[in-house]
Amino acid sequence: MKCRSVQKKFSAYQDRELKPQEQEEISRHLIGCHSCRKQYKKLEQVWQSLGELEEIPSGPWFYGQIVRKIMEPRKQGLLPVLQHVFQLFRGPVVASIILIIGLLAGTHLGNILVRSDFFPLQANRTSYSQEALLDSLKVFDPAPPGTLAHGYLQMANYREKESR
Amino acid sequence: MDQGPSSEDLMARIAEGDEDAFEILVGRHQTSILNLIYRFIGDRTQAKDFSQEVFLKVWQAARSYEPKARFTTWIYQITVNLCLNELKSARRKKWFQFLRFGEDQENTIEDVIVDPSPSPEDLLLSRERSKRISEALQGLPANQRMALVLKRYDDLSYNEIAGILGCSVSAVESLLVRAKRTLQKKLASLKK
Repeated sequence: MKCRSVQKKFSAYQDRELKPQEQEEISRHLIGCHSCRKQYKKLEQVWQSLGELEEIPSGPWFYGQIVRKIMEPRKQGLLPVLQHVFQLFRGPVVASIILIIGLLAGTHLGNILVRSDFFPLQANRTSYSQEALLDSLKVFDPAPPGTLAHGYLQMANYREKESR
Repeated sequence: MDQGPSSEDLMARIAEGDEDAFEILVGRHQTSILNLIYRFIGDRTQAKDFSQEVFLKVWQAARSYEPKARFTTWIYQITVNLCLNELKSARRKKWFQFLRFGEDQENTIEDVIVDPSPSPEDLLLSRERSKRISEALQGLPANQRMALVLKRYDDLSYNEIAGILGCSVSAVESLLVRAKRTLQKKLASLKK
């Protein structure tokens, strides 16, 4: 048997999963081949070191804890499913709620400010248009604004006020 | 040798609601199941929880249990499925963990009192080695790790492992070859 094919079967040889004849052939090869023996020794060392992984005891309350779990009333209905979904998506759900509250509060606050004429220019928009309409009607006045007569009347008005 | 009734017989009694039979069954398999999970996930507290979950499933499935295969194969199948499912859900949870505002840690009084194996100073070195081995194991892909744990610690045959993992014998062989090769590299510096 060649070294390469022997080394390929090391794992199965170690696990005693080869046919007895193959198992024996590899054993014989290992006796005669220093290089393969060295390789296999390394594998064996790793296998042995895995045995150093500690074993944990189950403790005296193990059975009692299982019984307690069995006795626990089983949750039924849609509520546990919703609870589980909420547990899983707790972060995104809370973030969405905060966002919705923020949007509603923002909209509400905006409406209050507009209604309380916080922005006079926007709040008086209708009265300005009315004012413009009234101004345009002044064309039919005896002295429409912008004319010489209007200027004269304004000046006369001013002098009258001053003399008072 | 175990002189008591076989695990299959105990299961038949459990199906009829025999709690004593369940206690015997748990006592018989608790350490192997607990350690199988511990070696697979590398966390004591979780291993304890999951192993209790396995026995809870055994209790619940007792009525539908049919002794087609060996009981150990059946309970190992439950354990492997639970471990792999938990691994998937742990990955999913990891995605949302950054948005969480705090994890609920519920430790029972038993968990606090029975923290097994206190750490004496003379065991520090072996603890360190054990930790390194555990880390090397945890670094393996889930299927390789499970195949290796079942082979190394439970000494199951390739055929049994294939039955538990639901794959072919040659696939088990391949998983073990790769797992051993990786461990050989990782644990090369671990001298006696």
